[in-house]
Amino acid sequence: MIRSLPLGAIALALAALLPAQDGVTVYRNARILPGGAPAIDNGVLVVGGGKILAIGGADTKAPNGAAVVDCAGKTITPGLIDASFRAGNTPDMNENGDEVTPHLRVLDSLEPADPSFVRARSAGVTAVHVMPGARSVIGGLGVVLKTHAKDPQAMVVKHDASLRIVMGAEPSMGNRAIRGGSVDSIYYRRPTTRMGVVWAARKAFYDAKEALEKSADAPPATPSPGVEVLTRVLRGQVTAVTTARSEQDLRTALRLAAEFGYRTVLDDAQDAHMLVDELKAAQTTVMLGAPSATAIAGSAGADGADPRSVTARLLADAGVPFVITTGSNAASLDLVREAMFAARNGISSARALDAVTIEPARLLGIDQRTGSLQKGKDADFVVWSTDPLDPAAAAESVFVDGIAVQVLR
Amino acid sequence: MLRCTLLPTALVGLAATLSAQDLLVRAKTVVIAPDAVLADGRFLVRAGKVAYVGQDVPADAAAKATAIDCGDALVVPGFVLPPTTLGRDRDLAEAALPFTPDLRAVEAFDPWHEELAKLPHGGFTSAILSPSPRNIAGGLGALVKPGAGGGSVAAPDLHLALSLNAAARNPERPPTSLMGAVDLLRSAFAQAKSSAAAGPDVAVLRSALQGNRKIAIAADTLSEIQQALDLARDFGFDAVIVGARDADKALDRLVAQRAAVVIGGLAPEMRLAQLQFPARLAEAGVPFCFTGRPDQARLSAALAVRHGLDRKSAWAALSRAPAQMFGVAGQVGALRQGCAADFAVWSGDPLDLGSALRAVYVDGARVHGELPSAAANPASSPAAGVR
Amino acid sequence: MNAMSLSAPLLRSILRCAVAAAIAASPVFAQDLLAVKAGRILTVSGPVVEDGVVLIQNGRITKIGKQAEVEIPWAAKVIDATGKTVMPTWVVAHSQGGMRNFNENMQNVPWLTVGDAVDPASPYFEDCLRNGVGAIHVMPGNQTLLAGQGMVVRPFGRTVEDMTIAANTGIKMSLAAGGSGRLQQIRKLRRAIADVREYLADFDRRKAEFDKEKAAGAIPADKKWTEEVDRTKKGAVDLVQKKAKGWLYVPSFAELDEALRLAQDLDLQVVLGNNIDEGVGLVKKLGKPVVLDDAIEYFETDEETQKEKRFCSAKLLADAGVPFALTLGQGGPTAYPWWQLGTCVRHGIARDKAIEALTMVPAQLIGMGDQLGSLSEGKLGNLQILTGDPLQATSWVETVVLEGQVVYERSKDPRLQYLFEAEKAKASKAAGPEKKETEKKDGAEPAKAEPAKAEGGKQDAPKSGNGNGRGVR
Repeated sequence: MIRSLPLGAIALALAALLPAQDGVTVYRNARILPGGAPAIDNGVLVVGGGKILAIGGADTKAPNGAAVVDCAGKTITPGLIDASFRAGNTPDMNENGDEVTPHLRVLDSLEPADPSFVRARSAGVTAVHVMPGARSVIGGLGVVLKTHAKDPQAMVVKHDASLRIVMGAEPSMGNRAIRGGSVDSIYYRRPTTRMGVVWAARKAFYDAKEALEKSADAPPATPSPGVEVLTRVLRGQVTAVTTARSEQDLRTALRLAAEFGYRTVLDDAQDAHMLVDELKAAQTTVMLGAPSATAIAGSAGADGADPRSVTARLLADAGVPFVITTGSNAASLDLVREAMFAARNGISSARALDAVTIEPARLLGIDQRTGSLQKGKDADFVVWSTDPLDPAAAAESVFVDGIAVQVLR
Repeated sequence: MLRCTLLPTALVGLAATLSAQDLLVRAKTVVIAPDAVLADGRFLVRAGKVAYVGQDVPADAAAKATAIDCGDALVVPGFVLPPTTLGRDRDLAEAALPFTPDLRAVEAFDPWHEELAKLPHGGFTSAILSPSPRNIAGGLGALVKPGAGGGSVAAPDLHLALSLNAAARNPERPPTSLMGAVDLLRSAFAQAKSSAAAGPDVAVLRSALQGNRKIAIAADTLSEIQQALDLARDFGFDAVIVGARDADKALDRLVAQRAAVVIGGLAPEMRLAQLQFPARLAEAGVPFCFTGRPDQARLSAALAVRHGLDRKSAWAALSRAPAQMFGVAGQVGALRQGCAADFAVWSGDPLDLGSALRAVYVDGARVHGELPSAAANPASSPAAGVR
Repeated sequence: MNAMSLSAPLLRSILRCAVAAAIAASPVFAQDLLAVKAGRILTVSGPVVEDGVVLIQNGRITKIGKQAEVEIPWAAKVIDATGKTVMPTWVVAHSQGGMRNFNENMQNVPWLTVGDAVDPASPYFEDCLRNGVGAIHVMPGNQTLLAGQGMVVRPFGRTVEDMTIAANTGIKMSLAAGGSGRLQQIRKLRRAIADVREYLADFDRRKAEFDKEKAAGAIPADKKWTEEVDRTKKGAVDLVQKKAKGWLYVPSFAELDEALRLAQDLDLQVVLGNNIDEGVGLVKKLGKPVVLDDAIEYFETDEETQKEKRFCSAKLLADAGVPFALTLGQGGPTAYPWWQLGTCVRHGIARDKAIEALTMVPAQLIGMGDQLGSLSEGKLGNLQILTGDPLQATSWVETVVLEGQVVYERSKDPRLQYLFEAEKAKASKAAGPEKKETEKKDGAEPAKAEPAKAEGGKQDAPKSGNGNGRGVR
């Protein structure tokens, strides 16, 4: 494979193999799409100690003795961020013991060696937000991770980044109504209807609210860990992410949030095009799951949703913040390809790229560290063979904290 | 055939008459422990225990003892099989509840169980009978031994058996996920630490956290192993990781946390990194041993040697290491003074698969094989007694 | 050209008739003479023509050249694709699209033909037009042994007959184990072919005996040999007599040996699955171009290191110098030609080579290299107009012309309208200031137009039951 690479790529590959973390490396002559800022043609990116030291036009100063990599013809973007990432697909992502387990941390179930991380970073993804699976009404706490670190513990960028709530049919899937026989199975105890799903969520938040009110006038008794997490959500300390596909579920998600006074992000909002105004009014960020799944020949979405190609465009026009993700759709493509499909279906390529870099960084509250190419941020970036939204684009080199995690074979 | 049926009765008779009689075991090579190998060695067995070793054997006692002359053979300490259910999952896996730290494996001990009786066929003289890893907290394990007159419990309530592996996550009862299992253990340990809580299960956890008991956690994947090590770190205990399929990926942490590893068994088709893992553990000074079926454990050690492990460490992994790991090094795993007289007579190095097992003794009584030819020879036997 | 030679008055009267005919609802006549003015013509077989024009008459391309150099007959219907890209429609050399059940449960059924299964109303053909596909070689599925005849169709027409470009294009065979193991499948295929040969030998022997007896007078001289080859064996007989091509599906490198063996006695076209990295040498030994499955990218995991390695079957063949045809999937990203070509380019295949692999090469492999696959004079007037470069995801197929007829226009595509219709509602509600920014983008938004007239089953309202409506599931 290496044989066929152009010289430039080989030089790049060699430079990447050098200990980039301590030494300073200068990437020259690239088209730089910094994320959330205008493109820089013939740009310079200076990286050292795992951080971005400088970024700018051709005249950007670089320290003497720095290694120089010529990136003529290449495009450099921030490392992509997948705000809803499916890490592996093990049963461990769902705790079926209870439909409401707010205190469970998905980090405890994560396999740091899972090939999904390798696949993600080789496709230019440097940070991911992982949530518990969608089989519980309130599944637990999500976590933001880098896709690579020396020690799996060091992958964590943000603990308790979100609380996952799921509307719709998925939490009730596989649960059974009692028809005689043994009731030992845990599946008998869980909701079997949409009503039941919403009730479970409402009950949990009701308990949390009550605990919150009690603690205001009485010395706080130790609340159950689940209630404790939910009170943090009610206080706005943890972001709620509600997975809701169809229009009715989206409305329910918004209603529930309004009822208890917390704000929620909407995950895999396939029917978002039906309630743009409401989303705008609620100041809700929308996670679009896999725009590629809006097949032209047409297929119904999950939970009876009716995904449309135009959704991202409508949200952009209305000023509803949105990010593009892969997680909730099993058939999703690499994140950059999902952004490409969104661009095909009507948003500008700059907007599409922001939706997988700086926007998710803001949403997850990690934009001080990553998500765009700015001086002082982590050196998470990708050198693409061409414009990243070109179907022929390959992530030739991927860096996480300045360490090359992919050098195109 | 005839001998087989007669053997137990014969032994019972012998035990009665020889109980007061010392045994003098002699062989060209006697392995007292991996780093103490005696050439033309001998040791004296009194009341089922090793009384004297090598030069220390008093001449008069030697003269009075019944000699077992193993000739060219190799006498090694009986192997110790680390946590195992001995094929008795039905009795050792409590299906209804995931969290039963106060259950005791000794309650399910069957001295006549076939698997137990077969242990000596592989050179094993003791095993750590453990609750099944199908429970998040299975209960307390025990050191058990086979014996000609039925098995015995050598040490009850030895270690606390926990599990984070796939088998523990039952799809029909909570917890079904790793995060649920970790949460369960974490809150249980936290409860045990806070003085307020009481109850038999809390007492067991508290006693283990206080260092009175080893804590063994079954964990196979990297995430399971890391969670186990996190628990050990956060609650301040030295974990024994059992199973440890992907432990090669977590070597640094195992070293840093002074963890011990019970490797679930090696097979030739495994990843190279897995086969080389014992050698790396030995190099890093991490205690380890092998579990599995008795024949598997010996094969695992042999495979580890094939992939770079030194023989001494391999021997240790089958005897001294598990004994130390579970705090029974004074009783089994070596032929030092005071240890049980559990030993096996091999035609050669037991790590060579071509070596034959000639005889196995538990507490000084033969439970498997034939008497070494020299001793079996009626002509030489009285002579030894005379001397 | 012919039009030019007619006298002006006659032409005028013809034109009048033509207009009348067009009004009378026959678009065909009006399009009899078609000129497509293009910003850029990718002819595939020749050089790129900037600011060119393509003339199509009576369904065939008559002229391609610079707009400055080619005179457009005034009678011609002109499509102005200035600023757009015109290129031949794609050719799919092997597909199971457009059929409901493409795997016959009985494995040895050489007498079947896909003509009986192709559904002109299938949404697959709609997608073909949307993606600029002009000819599809439809074949029985891969889970079979000897499965019957394929056919080449155009994705347009009310009936299978309307759609047919070429019938009986070859017999489908497969080495993919259909429920049995690999060796069993190989054995069964060998057995099936041997059976046909035995049958043929027996047939010939009986005929020779008949002739002999007739010559000897044992049979009356006026009695003729009436027995014909068994209809249920006809396809297979043609195959072993090399009168018909065999299209052999080879799922992986492991079956290539058997494919090579079969290729010795049969006229074989190999269709390759992926997982061929260990068998490229054997593919080369075939000495023929091959057709690739739509999934050209695949992963293999190193068992020791657990590292994944990404392969591209097309690149492996390109490196080995084996010509190949790409195909398109049904649904999923591989249904898009730009995805397939982009994947090839990403793996280092030259752009032109990738385009040829979905035009010229497949046209040749289905025996229609002189009709399809490039824009050149004399070939069928099949072309597509794209809003941009065919390898860009943001390019859309604007218009498809098949044999001089406009058969697809994006502005009249009801399903696209449906998927984008919320846009229309939004636009009518309020055009915010951000609106302008997006409107600048070309090709991102299907032009709005009144719904097209019903055309066979294709223009069904999307809600009617192709799985697009809400609550279908």
